[in-house]
Amino acid sequence: MKTNCKLALLAALAFTTFSCSSDSDKAGSETGGVDTGKTKYIITATTGATGIADYLLTTDDVATGSITTTGNGLEQDGTYRYYITAQNNFFSLLYGQGNPGAVTTYNLTTEGKLVKKSNFQAETVHVFAAVNKDILTIKVPRSGASIASMYKIDAEKSLITGEVQQDTKKLAGNGERAFYTWATQVGDKVYMPYMSIKGDGVDNFGTSNPDSTWVAVYNYPELKLEKVIKDNRTSYLGAYFTNGLFQDENGDAYGFSGAIATSNAVLTSTKPSAIVKIKKGTTDFDKTYFFNVQEKSGGYKISATNYISKGKFLLLMYGNAGKNNGVPKLAIADVYNQTFTWVTNAPATLTSVTSRYNITTEDGNSAIVGINTPEGNWIYSINGTTAVATRGMKVEGGQITAIAKLKY
Amino acid sequence: MTTHKFLFFIVFFLFSFLSFSQQNQGVSVTGQVLENSGQTIPYATLAIEKTDLSIISDENGKFIFKNVKPGKHILKITAIGFAPQKKLIEVSGKNPLHFSIPLESELNELESVTVLGRSQTEKVNKQAYNVTAIDAKKLHNSTLDLAHALDRVSGVRVREAGGVGSRSELSINGFQGNQVKIFIDGVPMDNFGSSFQMNNIPINLADRVEVYKGVVPIWLGGDALGGAVNIVTNSKPRTYFDASYSFGSFNTHRTSVNAGYTSKSGFTTEINAFQNYSDNNYWVNVDVADLNTGAYFPNQRVRRFHDKYRNETVILNVGLTGKKYADKLLFGFTAGENKADIQTGARMVSVFGKIYRKGNILMPTLKYQVKDFFTKGLNFNLTANYNFGEEQNIDTVYRRYNWFGDYKQYEGAGGERSRTLRKFQNNNGVATANATYALGERHSFMLNNTFTTFDRKESDELVPESLVYKQPKKTQKNVLGAGYKFDFNQKWSTSVFLKEYSLKTTYSRSYNPSGNAGDIAYQQFVDNTSTTGYGAATSYYIKHNLQIKASFEKSYRLPTPEEIFGNVNDNLEGNLALKPETSNNFNIGASYQTSFNKVNALSFDVNLLHRNATDFIRPTLNNNQTMTTNVNQGKVTNYGIDGEVRYSYRNRFTAGLNATYQNIRNMTEYEPNQNYVSPFYKDRIPNMPYLFGNADATVFFNDLIKKGNNLSVGYNLLYVHTYYLSWPSMGSKDSKLEIPQQFSHDLNAVYTLANGKYNVAFECKNVFDNMLYDNFSLQKPGRAFYIKFRYFFTK
Repeated sequence: MKTNCKLALLAALAFTTFSCSSDSDKAGSETGGVDTGKTKYIITATTGATGIADYLLTTDDVATGSITTTGNGLEQDGTYRYYITAQNNFFSLLYGQGNPGAVTTYNLTTEGKLVKKSNFQAETVHVFAAVNKDILTIKVPRSGASIASMYKIDAEKSLITGEVQQDTKKLAGNGERAFYTWATQVGDKVYMPYMSIKGDGVDNFGTSNPDSTWVAVYNYPELKLEKVIKDNRTSYLGAYFTNGLFQDENGDAYGFSGAIATSNAVLTSTKPSAIVKIKKGTTDFDKTYFFNVQEKSGGYKISATNYISKGKFLLLMYGNAGKNNGVPKLAIADVYNQTFTWVTNAPATLTSVTSRYNITTEDGNSAIVGINTPEGNWIYSINGTTAVATRGMKVEGGQITAIAKLKY
Repeated sequence: MTTHKFLFFIVFFLFSFLSFSQQNQGVSVTGQVLENSGQTIPYATLAIEKTDLSIISDENGKFIFKNVKPGKHILKITAIGFAPQKKLIEVSGKNPLHFSIPLESELNELESVTVLGRSQTEKVNKQAYNVTAIDAKKLHNSTLDLAHALDRVSGVRVREAGGVGSRSELSINGFQGNQVKIFIDGVPMDNFGSSFQMNNIPINLADRVEVYKGVVPIWLGGDALGGAVNIVTNSKPRTYFDASYSFGSFNTHRTSVNAGYTSKSGFTTEINAFQNYSDNNYWVNVDVADLNTGAYFPNQRVRRFHDKYRNETVILNVGLTGKKYADKLLFGFTAGENKADIQTGARMVSVFGKIYRKGNILMPTLKYQVKDFFTKGLNFNLTANYNFGEEQNIDTVYRRYNWFGDYKQYEGAGGERSRTLRKFQNNNGVATANATYALGERHSFMLNNTFTTFDRKESDELVPESLVYKQPKKTQKNVLGAGYKFDFNQKWSTSVFLKEYSLKTTYSRSYNPSGNAGDIAYQQFVDNTSTTGYGAATSYYIKHNLQIKASFEKSYRLPTPEEIFGNVNDNLEGNLALKPETSNNFNIGASYQTSFNKVNALSFDVNLLHRNATDFIRPTLNNNQTMTTNVNQGKVTNYGIDGEVRYSYRNRFTAGLNATYQNIRNMTEYEPNQNYVSPFYKDRIPNMPYLFGNADATVFFNDLIKKGNNLSVGYNLLYVHTYYLSWPSMGSKDSKLEIPQQFSHDLNAVYTLANGKYNVAFECKNVFDNMLYDNFSLQKPGRAFYIKFRYFFTK
C-alpha cells in the first residue's frame, strides 16, 4: 500500500512536467531573375495522378532528346495549376475551386536553375493575361452573384495592386450574364471578348443567344468599361478559359469563334466558325472582313488558337465536322490571305495538345507545342508557312501541359 | 483465380452432402456457462454424452437443449481457454432443468494474463477470421470516440480532417473510405448522415468493437472490399446506468448517458444519449495572406476561428426480451442533429469564416431475435431501419477571410466558395435478416440477407425551379450470403461462404429533344448489376495457447449511392458508369500466449496478408477540375504484415506494442488511353501511411487509499512514418512534398472509486505538442487536456 502511494505520486509528478516544442523555418530563396542572354525552356507535365500538380522540368533545347519526370523536376504544391510568363517570371496559379489559392512565382538563377521566388495569395480566376508590366486576372462568376472581380498584379513584385468590379449581368444587358473568355491587350486598351451565359445554377454555360459576338473594351490601368462591340456573323470569341482575340504586328486584332454556343449541353449556334477583325485604332468589327473557317476546313470548328507571327495562326480544330467534340486536329490559318491548311506530319491520334501555353521559335516562324498521344508525348514545332510538324524532344513520365521560356 | 473457385466449390459441396436427423421427445434443459468470476462464456460447446445432442451456447453463454430424454446424463462442456468439464444431470418427468455452469480457466497459471490481457473480447479474436476486438469497456473512462479507439488497433489508421467532429476516414491494410464497411450490431451504417458517425459516437456506447481485416464473415451482411468494423453495443438485458461528462481544451464538452432497465417480465427499455461540443480553436502554423495585396505573412501561429462543432443524439429502444417467441423484440428511434462550421477547404490555404453544414438523423429501428425458431438450433434475427434525416450546406455570405479572421465584404449575393443552400434527404433504408442453424456439435449453417435502399430528394431554395434536383437518384442494393461452419473438434474450425451481390440504379440523363435553345428533356435509365463472391476461413489450435488462422475471400464492393450520384457537400461528382471493385484477400495469422514465473504473461499476434484488387475505385479530379469523382482503375496489390506483443505483470502492469507495414503498389501497367508503360507502374501508392504503430503501458495501483479504489496511469504512443504526398518516383528528391514522421504521446490517469462506480479520468493528448498532420497536411490539435467524470451502476 505504501509503495503504491509513492509510485502514484511519482507518476503524477512525471505526468505534469512534460512540455517542449520545436519549430523549423525554411526561408524562401530570393535569388534569380537576372539576364545573361541565355534562355531555358520550362516544360510542365502532369502524371495524371489524383491531387498532384504538374512537375516543372527545365531544358536548354526542345528540338531533340528526351526528358522525364522520373526522379527529375520540381514538384508543386496543390492539385491543378495554370501558368503565365511575365517580366521574365514564371507564375504558377493554383486553381482552387472557387477558394483562394497560392500563386507561386519562379525564376531562373544565374546558373539557369529554376527556383521558387515567392508565394502570394490570389483568387481562383478564369482569365489571366499580361498587360503592360502587370498580370491582369479576372474571377468570373458563373452563377450566384454576378459581380466579376478584376485584379491587377505587379509582375515584378508579385503583389496585387488593384481590384475593380464589373457586374456581368449589367454588362450583358440581355437578361443573361457576360462571361469573359479571355483578355487581350490591344494598343493601350484591354479587349475582353465574352460569351453570354444563363448562369442560372442549372445550365450555367447554356445561352439563348448563340449567334452573337461581343467584345468589352476597357481602358488601362483604370479598367473602366468604354464600349461593348458587337457582331452577328459568328458566335462568341474564344471559349471558357480560352483566348480568342490576338493582336498582330500591325496592331490589328483578329477574333476567333468556334461557334459552339450550347443550351443544355446541345450545340445551338447556327452561324459558322469564323475569324473576324478589328482594325488598329478602331473599336468596331471590320464589316468587310470575314474568314469563314468552317467552310474552308470542310465543316470543322475551331477549338483553340495560338498566334505564330505575320498573320499565321495555329488552330486546334474539333475532330468531328460541325460538332464541338472528336479527336482534335491541327491546322494553320493565314488571316491575311484567308487560307486554311491542315497540319501534316503530326501524329494521327492526339490525346491532347498544349493549346493554352505555347511559345514560338526564336525566328518567329514556328509554334512550339506539346502533343500527347497514346504512344507517348513529344514537343513539336509547327511551321506557320509550310504547315509541317517536326517532332522534337520526347517527354516521359507525364503528359505535357505547358511550354514556356525564361531568360537568365 | 479458377483454382480457388474450384477448390472452394469442392469444399462447399463436400460439406453440403452431410445429412441430418432429429427427434422430438423429452424435456428441456437450459442454462448459462459462466467464468468463475461470473462473466459469461459465449460459444461454449455442450454435448450430452451417449446422445447426438450437442449445441453451442450463444454470445451470452446461454444454451437450451429441448427434448432431453428422462434419466441420468453426463453433460460435457468445453470452451476454448477453459478446462473441459463434465456435469451429471438428472432429467425427470416433465420439469425443465435450469442451472448455470462455472468453468475453470485453463490458463490458470497465467493469472495476470486473464486479468489484464485476455478478457471477454479476446474470444472474438479467436475466430478463424483475421479479427481484432477492442474491449470498449476498458476505455469507458477515457474521452475517446470510436474513431480514436480504432486508431490503436494494428493495421488500422484513422485519418481525420481536424478536431472534434471533423470528417474521419478509416483505412484497414491499405483499403480505405467506402472500401471498409462499418456496422453497428451487424447493421451496415450506410448513410446514417453526419449526426451519427464514428467521429461523434462516444466509446461508452460500445461494449466492444470488432475489426475484421480482410475476410468479412457472412453474418456481417453487405459488401466490403477489404475489411469491416462492427460496433457491438451492450446487448445484455440488465439494469444499468452509465453517465459521464468530460471537458477540456478548446472548450470541448462531451456528455454521454446510457441506461437500461429490464423487468422480470422481460420488458426492456434502453436509452443512449450523447452530446459533443467543441470550439476546435486549436493553434495552427500557417501563412496568412494580406486580403488586399495577397502577400503572405509566413509561418504565423494562429488559432482556428471558425470551427465550432456540436451534435446531440438520442437512441431509444423499448421492447421485450427473454420471451419464447422473441428473445429480443425492440422498437427504437434514433434522433440527432449536428452543426459544424467549416474552417478550411480541402487545403489549409483556403480559409472560411461563415460556411457551415448541418444535418440530422430521424431513424425508426426494429430489432427482432428469436432462438430455436420452429425447430431446435434455428436462430433468427431481423433488423430494419429507415433514415428520414437531411443534410444541408450553407454558404451565403459573400466574403473573403484570412487566417487572422479579417475579411473583405463583397457586394451582391455570393458565397465564400459557391453560394448554396442545397439540402438533400437520402431516404436510406436498411433491412437485414440472419438465420443460423446448428446441427449437432459440428455443423452450423448461416444465411444472411442485407437490403439497402436509397432515394435521394434534393432542393435548394436559391434555385427552386431547378429540374436537375427533380431527377430520380435511386439505388437498391442486395447482398445475400450463405455459409457453413464445420467444427471438427475444439481445435479445428472451418467456415466457407458464398455471397451474391446485386445493385439496381435508377437515374436520368438530360438531352435536348429539338436542338432549340432552352429545350430540355430527361430520359430515365435503370441499370442492374450482379456478381458472386466467395471465401473460406479456418483456424487450428496447435497447442492450447498457440492458434493459427488462414482465410481467403474473393470480395466485391458495389459503388455507393454517393459515388454514383455525387455529394455536393463533399465536392464529389457522381459517376453513373462506376463498376463494382473486387479483390482477392489472403490472410494468415498466428497467436501465442505464454507465461513465466506465474506472474509474467506474454502474448504475441502476427498477421500476414495479401490483397490483389482490380477495378479499384479511386478518386480523381473531374473534367473542369472543380470536384473529385470516382473511377475504376487498374490493379493494386498489397503485401503486409502487422503484429502485436503484449506483456503483463500480475495485475499491476501491462504494456503492448503493435506495428503495421504495408507494401501497397500500383500494378496498373497501362493507364487508359496510354499505350506505353505507366511511369508509376509498381510505385508505392502515394498519400497513404505504410508504416505505423502504437505503444502503450499502464500501471495499476489497486486498492489505493481505500479498498475498492484503483488508480491506473497509462501512456500511449502513436507513430506514423513519413510518406509522400505524390508518386514516390516522380520529381527530384529535394522538391518532393512529404508528410513528415509523426509522434503523438498521450498520457492518462484514471481513478476509480467503489469498484468502478465513480470514476475520474485525466488525459493529456499530444503531450509534447508535436505537429500532427493528416489528409493533405491538414494540421491536427496540439497539446490538449481533458478531464472526465463517470458514474456507473449495474444490477
